[in-house]
Amino acid sequence: MKIIASYNIKGGVGKTATAVNLAYLSAREGNRTLIWDLDPQGAATYYFRVKPKIRGGTRALVSGHRDLDDLVKGTDFESLDLLPADFSYRNMDLVLEENKRPTKQLQKLLAPMGIAYDYVFLDCPPSISLVSENVFRASHVLLVPMIPTTLSARTLDQLQEFLEGHDGLGKVNLMPFFSMVDRRKHLHVHLMETLPESFPTFLKASIPYASDVERMGLNRMPLPAYTPPSNPVTRAYEALWTEIKEGLAKTGRW
Amino acid sequence: MNEFDQAYLVPDGTDLQGIKDAFVGHYEIAEDEPRDLLRRFHDTFDWSLYHAGTVLEERSDGSRRELIWRSLRGDSPDLTWNIDRDPGFAADLPPGPEASRLASLVGIRRLLPLLEVHTRITTWRLLNEDDKTVVRLELEQNRYEDKGRERRGPISTRMRLHSVKGYEIDLQETKRLLQEDLGLSTNRTELLLEALAAAGRKPADYSSQLDFRLDPERRADATAKEILLHLLNTIEDNIPGTRANLDSEFLHDLRVAIRRTRSALTQIKDVFAPDLVERNKEAFGWLGEITGPVRDLDVYLLDFNDYQASLPEALRPHLEPLRDFIHAHYGAEQKALVEHLDSKRFRDLLREWRAFLEAPVPERSVVPNAMRPVKAVADERIWTMYKRVRKEGRAITPASPPEDMHELRKSCKKLRYLIEFFDSLYPKQEVRQLVKLMKVLLDNLGNFQDLAVQADHLRDMAQRMRDETHASTDTLLTMGVLVGHLLEHQHRAREEFAQIFMTFDSEEHQALFTSLFTPPKRKRKGA
Repeated sequence: MKIIASYNIKGGVGKTATAVNLAYLSAREGNRTLIWDLDPQGAATYYFRVKPKIRGGTRALVSGHRDLDDLVKGTDFESLDLLPADFSYRNMDLVLEENKRPTKQLQKLLAPMGIAYDYVFLDCPPSISLVSENVFRASHVLLVPMIPTTLSARTLDQLQEFLEGHDGLGKVNLMPFFSMVDRRKHLHVHLMETLPESFPTFLKASIPYASDVERMGLNRMPLPAYTPPSNPVTRAYEALWTEIKEGLAKTGRW
Repeated sequence: MNEFDQAYLVPDGTDLQGIKDAFVGHYEIAEDEPRDLLRRFHDTFDWSLYHAGTVLEERSDGSRRELIWRSLRGDSPDLTWNIDRDPGFAADLPPGPEASRLASLVGIRRLLPLLEVHTRITTWRLLNEDDKTVVRLELEQNRYEDKGRERRGPISTRMRLHSVKGYEIDLQETKRLLQEDLGLSTNRTELLLEALAAAGRKPADYSSQLDFRLDPERRADATAKEILLHLLNTIEDNIPGTRANLDSEFLHDLRVAIRRTRSALTQIKDVFAPDLVERNKEAFGWLGEITGPVRDLDVYLLDFNDYQASLPEALRPHLEPLRDFIHAHYGAEQKALVEHLDSKRFRDLLREWRAFLEAPVPERSVVPNAMRPVKAVADERIWTMYKRVRKEGRAITPASPPEDMHELRKSCKKLRYLIEFFDSLYPKQEVRQLVKLMKVLLDNLGNFQDLAVQADHLRDMAQRMRDETHASTDTLLTMGVLVGHLLEHQHRAREEFAQIFMTFDSEEHQALFTSLFTPPKRKRKGA
């Protein structure tokens, strides 16, 4: 089982679209795939038409009183399941704090899912918190969607600093990529040429800004499920997924 | 993560709209594009998979083909293989423990298509208030097609429910609607069995085994006809497979039925007119002859790997030219066989024979045994043959010539066939014990003779290979080693004979033969 987190400290950069569309592509290839919507706002859950609620809330889940598997919902797509968001996730930091090893709880919860799934995608809430630290520890890949702005470089620096400053976090594969790219903007084009130079693991694939992505909220399903195969955004997500798998194969950590 | 949950039978003539209507107020229904599935069911000619309580189904939907092996009772998980060609022999399947299990059931027989079922699957997705799919309902409309018999027609529509993980409550609700509101019942009838029934076929309608239920009081001539008619059916059943050489068992079963026919003709004595017996004995002798050469080659090919494995490793490759030689001659022998099977002589023979067997027996007959109760004739014949086997066997010493062993084998075979024809007239358990006993003795005698014949035949072939293909010295020498092995085994069989015959002829077994088969008047004499 490979765990792939879609994460950024900032909000509104396309994290959920990334997790939802990549999870869909993974399942479409026949991989048994789970997406866990960790964001209390529940956008990913909404896209899959599932109610943002889990029985017993965060506490029952983190304490292990409920098997993760019992909370999973099948989506409308074969091989793709969802662990829904719950509004109580906003207090997840507090609940994690109550445990002995508060930074390793998600890892522990996810471990038994390896029997049922080939890929797990985590859709993370923005901010750096105990939840995100848990995510960093549990994940094999940290996907960081970034809008090409001057602040992006700073965000990435901060993240890298954080990872290096904490024991056991330096090993995660940091894979930043550009999201919501508008090639009409000179600044976007300029940053896309320069920024990856200082980050060798920066992915080559990028996701264009497109109203198609925004329509995911209307259609309530992953983009490739309702656009033709020739759709440029769908193709961009396919290229991204291919590059991630190649990156995973190279590291050979599993 | 869908899993098979439950299947329902939709009675013929059910209005599908009526089923949809039952969901109004509970779920919206989204209907997916229908897709077509072709199912082909396979089994060996002797139904080995069916006898093991299993079904082998090939499924193709245009994009992929898979082979599904499942239990008839649905009590164990299905096994699935992806395939890219017709399943033929078990050895052609992707290797693995499952394929080995299948191989142990089908042996050397070829998997043949039984019939096809064309299925159109329409998926209804039941949607909740968020338009989320919560249950999948697959409607399977089926038509069978029996290509060989040119029969086709509809069979029951089935409905399968597939749960969506996390929405089990909706599955329960759907089941309730189907069962209580619509009155549908769950279905456990295997599709294959329904299709076979619709096609007017019975599963397991072929077996090479004899399984008569004879009436001891019935006239011997009528009973003999019943036995011979069954054997004729077996002969005819095996002709198409023999002609097409689907697997070597068709010819084998054909030959066994021919031998049994000759044996029944000559050993159920004095029930038919002597000239008829004489004529047909000769005719079936001819059938034995024309079917022999291909069978000989089959035996070589079947045993070839064992032959090769019995040799020192360094010699094994040198045996390959023999395999090539056999293959090279196989085509011609098979062609000759097919010509015989297509010949007027062959067709006339079977037609006349059937006409005779199907005709009622004459009201009165002057042939001595014809009108006697079959049990009395069976007792006499078996008893006489048993005494002959005993006499011939007891006379054999280590110095006896092979011909004596050969004679004994012929008598033994006759005895065994007689017991098998008439076994339903006697207590089951005891007869089964005797047949087993005969089998041990016959195996020993068979080994002794067949190995000698094979060694001779191999020598012949070596000569022909030298003349026809300039076989290398290495190959000829290797065949020589093989001949040596065969003769060694034969020698061993000869050494073991005394012990095996002694067991056969033990007091216990003598008593058993006497109690079962002594004809009544002899018993009176003894008393």
